[in-house]
Amino acid sequence: MRPFAELVEYWFGEREDEALEEHLFGCAECTARLEELAALGAGIRSAFRRGALHAVLPRAFVERLEREGLKLRQYRVAAGESVNCTITGEDDFVVSRLQAPLGGVARLDLVLQASDGEAHTLHDVPFDPAAGEVLVIPSPERLRARGPFTERARLVSVGAGGARDLGEYTFVHKPS
Amino acid sequence: MEDAELAAAVARGDTGAEAELYRRLAPRVRLYGLRHLRDRHAAADLVQHVMMTTLERLRAGGVREPGKIASFVLGMSRMTVLEMRRGAARRADLLEKWVPAAAGMTDEEAAPEVETRVMEEARLAECLQKLAERERSVLVLSFYGDKSADEAGRELALAPGNVRVIRHRALEKMRGCMGLA
Repeated sequence: MRPFAELVEYWFGEREDEALEEHLFGCAECTARLEELAALGAGIRSAFRRGALHAVLPRAFVERLEREGLKLRQYRVAAGESVNCTITGEDDFVVSRLQAPLGGVARLDLVLQASDGEAHTLHDVPFDPAAGEVLVIPSPERLRARGPFTERARLVSVGAGGARDLGEYTFVHKPS
Repeated sequence: MEDAELAAAVARGDTGAEAELYRRLAPRVRLYGLRHLRDRHAAADLVQHVMMTTLERLRAGGVREPGKIASFVLGMSRMTVLEMRRGAARRADLLEKWVPAAAGMTDEEAAPEVETRVMEEARLAECLQKLAERERSVLVLSFYGDKSADEAGRELALAPGNVRVIRHRALEKMRGCMGLA
């Protein structure tokens, strides 16, 4: 059986290898592993689409969601600002666009503290230093299940010299 | 029984061998279709066309080397994917030509459901939420966004090699969490 990493690279089109493909067609174990990968992929797509996940994603991905015709409620918030926000029955996703100077930032943490007691620190969130913003997509399923709350989000640059706040953002959420 | 023995049995008219050969090879064709066509409906069309053609050829003695049936099916899958890419209209023609001609089979026999593993949704979401942020982002980009490591790397400002490492680690964690490892 081929290593799992090789099967994953094949699956994403990173290996165009006829000999590998020939092997896969004759290998029941590899077929089972690929089926597992396909099922995981289908599960991930479904979980994201139905709103079960929160994620920090790049701008290009959010633009793609818009092109797919999904309804996005977006809040662009500058550091130090507060915004009233909600999610309606028609919204597929809510996108919080946290504006921040990201040049020279090596690692970024996002600290979330909500008035209803929910608190998380998202360590090492992905970001594009050139983008000047961090796009957070909270789980719509979870948002809809919560009552009103106020959440403070803090972007923290973490480097060799220690931690440095880049900005704090306040979301005053009311169910619609 | 080896694939080759099954293929020889199909050529002798053994219907039980046909069902077993289908059960073994259809998932491989489906995966090939998902990998190359990125569409589950197109992959299902591919399975129908390739498997019906293969069984017909075997029954008619039209497969020169039944011992290499997996290679035959792979070759047929490659050819069909090329044809399917030439357009939806052409694909409809192929189905019209081949599916009703499934040699007297009922609809159910001609297109039995290829077993699809369905992951338990709530557990999968819980496992995804346990991943590190970067890992979850990379998996969403990879599977929902259908991005290769190069493409995901460009969007996340990461090197493709780094994306592969994160993706691999995330998948292994998911397999462990889902009890698949």
